[in-house]
Amino acid sequence: MDIKRYSENSVTVYLGDEISEAINKQLVHLKNELEDMEMDGVSEIVISYTSLIIYYDIFKTNGKDLEDVLKTIDPARLEKRSFKYNLVEIPVCYGGEYGPDLELFDDNGLSPEEVIELHSDTKYLVYMLGFMPGFPYLGGLDERLFKDRLDNPRTSIPAGSVGIGGKQTGMYPFTSPGGWNLLGRTAIPLFDENRDPQILYEAGDRIIYRSIDEDEHKKLQQQVENNDYEVKITSREAK
Amino acid sequence: MTFKVLNPGMFSTIQDAGRFSYQTFGFSPSGVLDYRAYQLANRLLGNEDDAAVLEMTLQGVELLVEKDAMISTSGAEAPITIEGNNYSHGTVIKVMKGETLKIGKCENGSRTYLAVLGGFDVPEILGSRSTHTRSGIGGFKGRTIKSGDVLKTLGGDFSDGMKKIKAFESDNNIRIIPGQQYERFKEDVQRKLFNSEYTITKDSDRMGIRLDGPGLETDEGHDVLSEPTQLGSIQVPKNGQPIILLNDRQTAGGYVRIATVALADIPKLVQKSPGETLTFEEIDVDEATKIYKEELAKIDSGEYFEDIRDFTSVRRHTSLKISKLMGV
Repeated sequence: MDIKRYSENSVTVYLGDEISEAINKQLVHLKNELEDMEMDGVSEIVISYTSLIIYYDIFKTNGKDLEDVLKTIDPARLEKRSFKYNLVEIPVCYGGEYGPDLELFDDNGLSPEEVIELHSDTKYLVYMLGFMPGFPYLGGLDERLFKDRLDNPRTSIPAGSVGIGGKQTGMYPFTSPGGWNLLGRTAIPLFDENRDPQILYEAGDRIIYRSIDEDEHKKLQQQVENNDYEVKITSREAK
Repeated sequence: MTFKVLNPGMFSTIQDAGRFSYQTFGFSPSGVLDYRAYQLANRLLGNEDDAAVLEMTLQGVELLVEKDAMISTSGAEAPITIEGNNYSHGTVIKVMKGETLKIGKCENGSRTYLAVLGGFDVPEILGSRSTHTRSGIGGFKGRTIKSGDVLKTLGGDFSDGMKKIKAFESDNNIRIIPGQQYERFKEDVQRKLFNSEYTITKDSDRMGIRLDGPGLETDEGHDVLSEPTQLGSIQVPKNGQPIILLNDRQTAGGYVRIATVALADIPKLVQKSPGETLTFEEIDVDEATKIYKEELAKIDSGEYFEDIRDFTSVRRHTSLKISKLMGV
C-alpha cells in the first residue's frame, strides 16, 4: 500500500500499477471498509484502476491521521474476504441503425452474428466510472473483438450506444462525440435522476449484455417513456 | 422573487458549492469556480453557505425584475446599472418590480457573481443545484441560461446590508504542490515549470485552463492508467502544454500530472482571463493546507468586508431608513 498526498483535502492510496481483477477487489473492499468505519470528516472516496482517493474536511481530520488509520489495514487480507456485487443486465439491440459498425469486424474475420455472440452473455467487470457520469470502464472483452477507434470520430453518438474502443467495451450514458466502434444500443437510461439508483452500477459490479431484437427494443423504449420499466439487477457473492 | 432573462451574457450558469460524493460514479463536481467570491456574495445577504448563485463569464446579464428582490454581486468587477443608474459592485441592492438590472462586462477578472436572497430556486440533483453543461445535469435545465428564461429565488428574511466587499489585490503567482508524476519529469524540466511564464489560452473554460509556454516533456511517457482527477490538477499531454483542471473536469484522466494548484490560490487563478500570464511557485502539501485554512478563516471572519460610508451608492431600502433617521 502506497499512501500519498497531492492536495490539501485528499489522500491517495495505490495498491498496484496494472489493471487486475485482484487489485479492483482490494480497492472495493478497502472503500467498503473505510465507509463502514464512518470516520469523522471523510466526505468522499473515488475508485480508479489501481488507486482510490479519499477526500476529507480539513477542519475535521487531516492527512496524517488518515494515513495512520490506513496503515492498520492489510489489503491482502481484504482480498481473501467474500465479496458481494451486483450483476446488472443491459438489453442491447445489436446492428442496424443502432450498431452501424458491426460490419467492420469483417476485418477481424468475424460475422455480425459472431460479434454479437462474443460480446453478449459475458460478465464484464466494472473497474471504475469516469469520462462522463455513469460511463463504465469495463474489463473482460474477448480479444478477438479488440478494434482500434475510428479514424474519424463521430460528432454525436446517441445516448445508450454500446461499443468497442481498442481493448475496451462500454456504453455512452449521454449523447456525446466519440470514436468508438458502435455495436448496438440499449433503451435503458444509464442515468435517470428519478430512479433509485440513479446510476445502475459501481466499481466492482458486473455488467452483462443481453441481445434483444428490434421489436423488443421498441417495446422497452415505450416502457421507458412511460416510466414503467425494470432493470434486472441481481446480488451475487464471490469468493 | 423572480427574474426574466433579457440578455443571458456569454456563459451564465446557476452554481452552488458543488456536487460532491458522486465522483466515483463519474459526476463532475461542477459548482462555482471562485469559492471566495461565492461565499462573500451569500454572506452579504445572510444566505446559507450553499445557496445557488448565477456565475457569469466575462460578460454579465440583463434581467427584468418581476418581483421585488434583494441581490448582491461579487467576483470580477462589472458595472451594475438599474434603470440606467449606476450602483456599487460588492454590495447588497434592492431591486423592484418592473426594473431592468444590467450587469456589464467584467473589468478586472473573468467571473462575476449574482446572489439573491435565499439563493436561486432550481431542483437539487444528487444533492446540488450546480449546472454541469456537458452532461446537461443540474442548475437551470442543465444548461446556460437563455433569453426568456424565468429564474425563481427562494427568498427569506433580510436584515443587515451595510457592508461592501473589499477590492482584492492580485498578482500572477500561483502556488502548486508537486503532483502524482512530478518525479517523471527531469530536473531541468521541473525548473522550466518554475522559471517560466505560461499564458492562458482562449480554449480555457470551466473544464480547464489551457496554458501556452515552454513545453514540459518527459521521456517516460505522458499517459498513465486513468486515475481520479482533482481540482487544480496540472496535467501535461504529449504536446507538453499544461492544462489546469477545474470544476467541470472529467472525473478520471489518463495524462501525467506534474502538480496540483493550492486551493488557497484557486480564487485568484479562476479570475485570470485568456492572454494573461501565470508563474508557479512550489510549496508542500502541509504549507498548502495551512494557507488554505487561513484563507477560509479570513472569509469566515468578515475580514473581506468593509463598512459602507458612501451612502450615495446605497439603494432605497437603506438610504430611505437613513434619511428618516437623519430627519431629512
